[in-house]
Amino acid sequence: MKRAIIILTLSLAAAVAIGPFVWLISTSLKGSEELFAFPPTLIPHDLALENYTGVWNAVPFQTYLFNSVIVVLGTLVFNLTFCSLAGFALARYEFRGRAFVFLLVLAGIMIPKEVIIIPLYANVLKMQLADTLAGVVLPFAVDALGIFMMRQAFMAIPREIEEAATVDGVSPLRLWWNVMLPMTRPTLAALAIFTFIGTWGDFLWPLVVLKSREHFTLQVGLSYLIGAFSDNYRYVAAGAVLAAIPVLLVFLGMQKYFERGIFAGATK
Amino acid sequence: MKAAVPYLFLLPALLFLALFALLPMGQIFYYSLLNYSAFGPSEFVGAGNFVRLVNDGNFWWTLANSFLLVLVTPVIMVVALSLALLVRREVRIGKPFRLLFFLPVITPIVIVGIIWRWIFAEEIGMLNYLLSLFSLPPVHWLTDYPTTTVSIMIVTLWRGAGYYMMVFLAGLAVIPREVEEASMIDGAGWLQQTVHITIPLLKPTLTLVFVVSSTAAIKMFTEVYTIIPGAPIANKTLVVYLYQQAFERFDFGYGSAIAVVLFLLTIAFSYANVRLMESR
Repeated sequence: MKRAIIILTLSLAAAVAIGPFVWLISTSLKGSEELFAFPPTLIPHDLALENYTGVWNAVPFQTYLFNSVIVVLGTLVFNLTFCSLAGFALARYEFRGRAFVFLLVLAGIMIPKEVIIIPLYANVLKMQLADTLAGVVLPFAVDALGIFMMRQAFMAIPREIEEAATVDGVSPLRLWWNVMLPMTRPTLAALAIFTFIGTWGDFLWPLVVLKSREHFTLQVGLSYLIGAFSDNYRYVAAGAVLAAIPVLLVFLGMQKYFERGIFAGATK
Repeated sequence: MKAAVPYLFLLPALLFLALFALLPMGQIFYYSLLNYSAFGPSEFVGAGNFVRLVNDGNFWWTLANSFLLVLVTPVIMVVALSLALLVRREVRIGKPFRLLFFLPVITPIVIVGIIWRWIFAEEIGMLNYLLSLFSLPPVHWLTDYPTTTVSIMIVTLWRGAGYYMMVFLAGLAVIPREVEEASMIDGAGWLQQTVHITIPLLKPTLTLVFVVSSTAAIKMFTEVYTIIPGAPIANKTLVVYLYQQAFERFDFGYGSAIAVVLFLLTIAFSYANVRLMESR
């Protein structure tokens, strides 16, 4: 009996969580008259796939997609490499100034990007990177939280493993890449997913940096759609569905690491 | 040579961190003291921008709206914690639910905005239709103030609940089973046990969620930008105002003054929240 109530409650909550997506997909498949039908219909009468081809042709969707992929890949490669290098140094080496560097990393975690967006843009302008994908990527190439996560991961590896490798005369770079890095795989995966979801969905920064349409990322392109097709929401809905698919695939494929990442993020 | 190794490993990360986080943090305080347009030369005006802020109605309105949005935090916490407790109680059944609750979290905010703008549509939107089923009058979700702020809160709750549920689950996972089992043996029911044993043990996580969720509310931008683009600026939030001043009016100095206020607010909020939760 109690169990039934719990399941019922959870099902209701799930309906609220999922309902808006169903409504979006339904809207994206409707014909023009049905869009304004009242009461609204949940299941479209005849599935109109033309909204998808329509939005694909009306805006340079492939370009947006390509730009987003470039931005995400760039941010991922930079973050995974530099955060794990720095995290390794902080976790495994004794050196002068280590406590100070760690303090800088913690300070970096505390700085909200909304606060520093004006000087970030001013600096990107000075570097001649305004309206370029590099200008979107570089300011977020190193996430202080990523350094912290990697430091924790390296600290958890038993000393003996490292000692055995150093006896064999392995260079520091090889020690990092061949021996230590593979052992932090779960954290690395969690960091990768976080960076992917965050960068893929990021809006404010690319909106500030990118001015010409051929440089837009998907999110900036989508927000442009809202304005351009405010009287044709079927196109906007179809565009939104298309843009959601990549995140969904990554999430479903790497779910296991995802929960672990939240653990890492939440227990900091 | 060997002594240089850790420094070399740290160099790229620190370079980026300095250039794109620590230096801008200093710049923002400096800029806030300048009359600085994106295109022209800058001049030092001292506290001029802050004097202007104090006398700027739009600043106070957007600040008030950002504060108003924080009110949704306790609601999010109650919903998220309830979900976490239920999902944890029925482990096997809970698994797929965890997944479903998490979908809104991973969805890019612009897409969330597109979804909800349509749900809130006043003539033909789903929400007003559902209200009409209960013979309730339509609500102007996208045009009436402060209803618009409530609309943004609804979206925040919808998107945030699943995330904070996961954070609570992470916090619950480190509570030793024995502690809870011991109270079971003493004859405590599930509800009693939850209220008297589990929730007090969850205090660090509660603090964390409170801080993260309320500072996120203060920093709200994209939801407002995509859901109520046509609303007057006074009905929007502080970061939207910052964006407008800096990137539509190109007034970097004034925008930076807003950013300084925003920064002090996030610090004060984190501090106050932690103190509040500790004293309880």
